[in-house]
Amino acid sequence: MRAAAAAALLVAAQPAFAQPTDTAVKAAFLPRFAKYVTWPPAAMPRAGDAFNLCVIGGDPFGTMLDGAARSQSIDGRPITVRRMGTAASIDSCQIAFVDGSRSGQIIAAIGRKPVLTVTDARSGGPRGIIHFVVDGGRVRFFIDQSSASQRGIAISSRLLALALGVRQ
Amino acid sequence: MTPVERVTSGWRSAPIAIFGLALLILLAGVGVIIQNEWTYDHARVEQTQALSDILAATTAAAVDFDDPAAAQQAVDGFRMNKQVRRIAVYRRDGRVMAGYKRDGTPLRPTLATMRPPGANVIRVKSPIVQAGQRIGTVTLDIDREAPFRRLSRYFVLAGLFVLAALVVASIGLAQAQLRRANRELGSRAEALAQANVLLEEQMEERAKAEDQLRQSQKMQALGQLTGGIAHDFNNQLTVIQGSADILTRPELPDEKRIRFAQAIVQSATNAASLTSQLLAFARRQPLKPERIDLNDLIREMRDLLDRTMGERIRIVTDLYKLPCRVEADRAQLQSAILNIASNARDAMKDGGTLTIRTRDAGEGQDGKPLVALAIEDTGEGMSPEVLDRIFEPFFTTKRTGKGTGLGLSQVYGFATQSGGEVEVDSKPGEGSTITLVLPCIDADALAEAEAPEPEASDQPPARILVVEDNEDVGAFAETLLSELGHQVTRASSGEEALDIARRTEFDVVLSDVVMPGMGGLKLAEVLGREQPELPVVLATGYSQEIVESGSGGRPVILKPYRLATLSEALAGAMRR
Repeated sequence: MRAAAAAALLVAAQPAFAQPTDTAVKAAFLPRFAKYVTWPPAAMPRAGDAFNLCVIGGDPFGTMLDGAARSQSIDGRPITVRRMGTAASIDSCQIAFVDGSRSGQIIAAIGRKPVLTVTDARSGGPRGIIHFVVDGGRVRFFIDQSSASQRGIAISSRLLALALGVRQ
Repeated sequence: MTPVERVTSGWRSAPIAIFGLALLILLAGVGVIIQNEWTYDHARVEQTQALSDILAATTAAAVDFDDPAAAQQAVDGFRMNKQVRRIAVYRRDGRVMAGYKRDGTPLRPTLATMRPPGANVIRVKSPIVQAGQRIGTVTLDIDREAPFRRLSRYFVLAGLFVLAALVVASIGLAQAQLRRANRELGSRAEALAQANVLLEEQMEERAKAEDQLRQSQKMQALGQLTGGIAHDFNNQLTVIQGSADILTRPELPDEKRIRFAQAIVQSATNAASLTSQLLAFARRQPLKPERIDLNDLIREMRDLLDRTMGERIRIVTDLYKLPCRVEADRAQLQSAILNIASNARDAMKDGGTLTIRTRDAGEGQDGKPLVALAIEDTGEGMSPEVLDRIFEPFFTTKRTGKGTGLGLSQVYGFATQSGGEVEVDSKPGEGSTITLVLPCIDADALAEAEAPEPEASDQPPARILVVEDNEDVGAFAETLLSELGHQVTRASSGEEALDIARRTEFDVVLSDVVMPGMGGLKLAEVLGREQPELPVVLATGYSQEIVESGSGGRPVILKPYRLATLSEALAGAMRR
């Protein structure tokens, strides 16, 4: 079931992968979050510029993420995947997937900047605003709404409805 | 065309109009229903579309993140709505992701294999769009309408139709009945009019017949009256004529002359009494009212009654102490009592008892106390037929020559003229009671009128003006007065008398009352103004004027008058 669902989800973006993995599902999810989140105007890219999805630290996705990002657009803007080692140029990012052994430092460095941080329970690091888990063989996520609102980020109730848990 | 017909013909076109109207109403009703149906359907589709759109929006994230559980949760929220038959959420590639069917059967796996909706189902589709991209489809089937609702709509339709039909039927029925009633009314009115005309004709005929009857009765009464008068007068005139014839014979001994003269006087007296009674019945006799105690009057009359009744009749008086006196003409009252008594005597041929009673008779309509004088006999009594006629003048049950038929007429005339009445109570074989009921007079209403009559004495010669339009009576009066030594001047009219009186001095005027031109009363009035010292004596057979308005205090003598009466009246007038 999960395999079928993942395959269906990725059929347009990743026709090459017949067996979608949890990683592939997460890669498909990441660009989609943008459609259910509203940033403060100052944090948005300038008119005509692309939407930035940054992968900071480790990159478990590879080209899967690029494919997923290409199939999505936010209000007509394309989504660009940027990979970086540190949080130095975090100001250009709207979404930041933080992974790897230095994830704690990176999160701390991002601090209270209006960036939708996404983390993965698999890496055992600190939690971002959205935190992937695998539950019952399915990729699910928690949402820390309180942390989001501290940063001026509003999350759609429809996304909240899909979360395994919401921290108010 | 009568008005009734006009009205009904106006109604004749009504059923068509009403039917047309009802049809119009029915069509309008159907139109409204169709329109309603269409609007309802349209609204229903819109409603369902909105529901579906909402579902599409709420399941967008679930589809986006391929979360069938979340999608199913959103879909399950619609189970509350019982009209929803089927909901399905499809992924972008058309595979079903969530949904249910009301009947519990499983959904077909893809959008393409979905069965077409039934006739009573509204199916709508909404795309699931996220950020401008179509990511899936929602389909929603809903009942077009509940069966009972459709049924009720048919009921409304049927009800409308029945109502319209009922209206048409009842109006038509009422109209027909109205027309029938109108027709009936018309014919009845006509019949009534005919009956009315007939009735009026009959009434007219009847009135005519009654008039004729009255006329013939009047003629009969008149015939009876004149016959009676002629009969009685002829008797008296026979005596007078015969006696006068004998008196004209020469060498008649004085003793015979005196006897025949007395016979003439007696007959004339009888004739005068006859006319007096006649006038009393006609109520034209001037009455000379006095205050009379009925009991005293009866005691005074006792001797007279005894003599009149004869030996075989016992007279009993039962006199009650009366509270008051009556006002009546003494002579007329006596005459009335005698008339009743003599009738009683004639009714008791084999003797009997005459009872005269007086009693208190209560009060009259004007509150005046009444007294009654009842005369009761033990005679043969009267039949109802006789009772009906006893007051008619000249009606008599006695043999010709035995009665005048004026007795009870006089009683009736006297009683009514005195303000009272006569009651008769009689049955054949049980005697008769005739009761005179007379009103009392107030104790001090009338001064004692019984002034002593001055003694008649020889008159000194006087200058007398005699006014009389009748030549014979005038000549007779002149002869009488001249015989008494008076100086007499005659005038034949009121005007002439006035003329003479203005030129010549007189001691007294004797005037007839009824004359052409200036009457006696008028003459007396003018003379009274011009020569207040000149007394006037009025003489009359009867005078409606005097009966009605009196003589103005002047002495009145009644014709026929005797020498002594005339002389006394003139002397009395001159003494005043």
